[in-house]
Amino acid sequence: SVMADVKVKQESPDPVQIENRIKELCQQFPHGITDQVIQNDMPHLEAQQRAMAINRLLSLGQLDLLRNSSGLLYRMKDAQTASKMKGSDNQEKLVYQVIEDAGNKGIWSRDIRYKSNLPLTEINKILKNLESKKLIKAVKSVAASKKKVYMLYNLQPDRSVTGGAWYSDQDFESEFVEVLNQQCFKFLQSKAEVARDSKQSPMVQRNSSFATSHEVWKYICELGISKVDLSMEDIETILNTLIYDGKVEMTIIAAKEGTVGSVDGQMKLYRGVNPIIQPTGLVKAPCGLCPVFDDCHEGGEISPSNCVYMAEWLDF
Amino acid sequence: MTAQEVRLCGLLLQEHFGEVVERIGTHLLRGGAQNLRTIANETNTPLDLVKKSLCVLVQHGVCDFGSGRRGPGSPVEYRGNCERVLRILRYPRYIYTAKTLYGDTGELIVEEVLQRGHMTMSNTVKTVADRLTHNMEEGRSMEYSEVVSSFSKLVETHFLQRCPPVAETATAAPSATPATHRTPASVTPPTAESNPDCYKLPPVTLTGRGKRRRSSDDGEEPGGVKKAKMDSESCGDEGIYWQVNFERFHQHFRDQAIISAVASKLDQTSSEIVRTMLRMSEVTTTPTAAYTQPLSANEIFRSLPPNYSISRPILDQGGSLTGRSDLHRALANLARATLESVVQERFGSRSARIFRLLLRKRHLEQKQVEDFAMIPAKEAKDMLYTLLSENLVQLQEIPKTPDHAPSRTFYLYTVNQLPTARLLLQHCYKTVANLIERRLFETKENKRLLEKSQRIEAILASLQASGAEPEQLTEVEEMITAPERQQLEALRHHINKLDSTENQVDETIFLLESYIISTKSK
Repeated sequence: SVMADVKVKQESPDPVQIENRIKELCQQFPHGITDQVIQNDMPHLEAQQRAMAINRLLSLGQLDLLRNSSGLLYRMKDAQTASKMKGSDNQEKLVYQVIEDAGNKGIWSRDIRYKSNLPLTEINKILKNLESKKLIKAVKSVAASKKKVYMLYNLQPDRSVTGGAWYSDQDFESEFVEVLNQQCFKFLQSKAEVARDSKQSPMVQRNSSFATSHEVWKYICELGISKVDLSMEDIETILNTLIYDGKVEMTIIAAKEGTVGSVDGQMKLYRGVNPIIQPTGLVKAPCGLCPVFDDCHEGGEISPSNCVYMAEWLDF
Repeated sequence: MTAQEVRLCGLLLQEHFGEVVERIGTHLLRGGAQNLRTIANETNTPLDLVKKSLCVLVQHGVCDFGSGRRGPGSPVEYRGNCERVLRILRYPRYIYTAKTLYGDTGELIVEEVLQRGHMTMSNTVKTVADRLTHNMEEGRSMEYSEVVSSFSKLVETHFLQRCPPVAETATAAPSATPATHRTPASVTPPTAESNPDCYKLPPVTLTGRGKRRRSSDDGEEPGGVKKAKMDSESCGDEGIYWQVNFERFHQHFRDQAIISAVASKLDQTSSEIVRTMLRMSEVTTTPTAAYTQPLSANEIFRSLPPNYSISRPILDQGGSLTGRSDLHRALANLARATLESVVQERFGSRSARIFRLLLRKRHLEQKQVEDFAMIPAKEAKDMLYTLLSENLVQLQEIPKTPDHAPSRTFYLYTVNQLPTARLLLQHCYKTVANLIERRLFETKENKRLLEKSQRIEAILASLQASGAEPEQLTEVEEMITAPERQQLEALRHHINKLDSTENQVDETIFLLESYIISTKSK
């Protein structure tokens, strides 16, 4: 009967059909599939048949072989890329692979050399070739202005390369950072003032003068002073600079999962603080700020008796 | 002892005791323990002057003596105490503190005892009563009992103490027990606290009133015979000498610094609580203890000043203010704030940010400093190198590979609080010495004018006393020209400014010294 025929056909599948099915699965799961996935889809296949199909696809350059923590992954090779790479020799494929592995952080040409063990001249030739084929691109890294990292053409470079919110065309936006620093501080200061004026018990006052990083982030976003989107984490790096300025202190408290602004069960709280001492006595004397302090001694060219800084300071 | 410390000590000794004492004192400080002959020979000073100088130095606790290193029978050796000389710088602060705590009487008592080094209670009382009387209206005088009362309070609260018992010297050892091995007197002189009567007032009653000294007086008065008799009258407390207990004042200054830091950081109420805690442990804690005695919340609550109405629950809420206060940590925080303050004023807020960052994170690579501080690479680099050249920041090399190749080495910036505090302390000593030198210079430059002004003042005073005509007075006053008057005014302004700044730098010295000492005794 027809049914029986079909059944028989299925029991001894055509290798090409197996390969096509595997390719379909890869397209369905673009991140890659494991051997288990293939087995689940075609449970009647023997391991040997699976292996043969996979190997053929790999050698044809239609599949990529990857390794992750749980085992091997098979992934559809980008058809366009596959066609572009068709003329490539193994060296070029290797370099491409190395660059692909670097993801959106990119990789420096010297590091490509370490990973591929190819001479630098060869690599530079290959890179030029790949660039002209628009398979890879060079991105200037904010880490070192002369350094370029290579990554796949379509990828969005990672923040660590471009500098993220604080960089605009490789230039660090000092003024922007300064403005954010001031605005965050003003927000925290006024919150503390409101708490003080509320005249409640000292502990309540203290607690209500704290603001979460989420609160500060919201305030800054609403101010609308930023051209780029700032994340809460971005605001936290600004708040940290205020801590290093000695103007703000931070506390971490436990927060229920799901609380607005909490990350990993924690929330960071910030509060404006006063310095614990006034400028110290030493800096009230000109010697405390003097650039030639070490060269000064009585009887020398620079001495307390003939010091011009002293004279100016005394007449003030 | 550093060169800067010796230089500053020399200046302080000279200002307070004169050239000869300064020469002897500085020699002792530089050369360590020496005997009388050695000092005389090496300083080229006649023996009797050396003896007198040593007397002055011993009187003021700047120098102590003990048996020679070569054992019993060898000449007595004298040793200078640098730390004690540096305390002279703090005299105005001690005196001012006594004034805030115990009024004018307290102020004068401490001033007199500091001036003389050590004094008997009776002598102090009489002198202070006379001084206070001098400033009172005609016909009024100060009762001895009032001065005694202030004196007692100062002793009760340990600001004054009996001088330590004199160490036995080997030269005084009799050969009564030749068989037994005589050990030389201990190297460290006995402390005041080793005497159980250290804070016990002498059992004497002083009655009388202060005497007003007339301007025509050269020691004689109607009834001058009576006065002379009073002076030589034994009051019963001979040999019981009193000195200022510096450590007790230092404890007070430390408490003040901590209280005001708490007030800045938290609020007024919290600082009142800390003040109460510290006051309650005042007499139960030894001044150099790392912790105060633990106090229960109840004890604290009952001891708060009555006008401080805070409810009990609030006191319990102050979690960070439980009975124990970690003095060392407080001092470390104050020292850290001091270092940060210097960097901020000297190099600006962004360098201060980098400095504070390194204090918190301990070790950072250049890139990490840039990222955390959010300062562009070039400027961060400049600032780090400047701080490095001033020794405020250090660079540590951590090789990743055995060949120590630079490209495979971590270069980490770091700040070490203790050595940095020591460095800044030396800067403070040098700064104070600079200020003193400048003050002496300004005075010397205007010596002629100053002397002229003093002469005129003296003439005016005597003319007024003998009831001169106003025209006569004006004539004398005009002997100083207007520009000279201006110059004198400027000089006065300079001297005052230098003087008050010396005191301000001493505040920094105090905080850094307290921190360094507390680290050593941990």
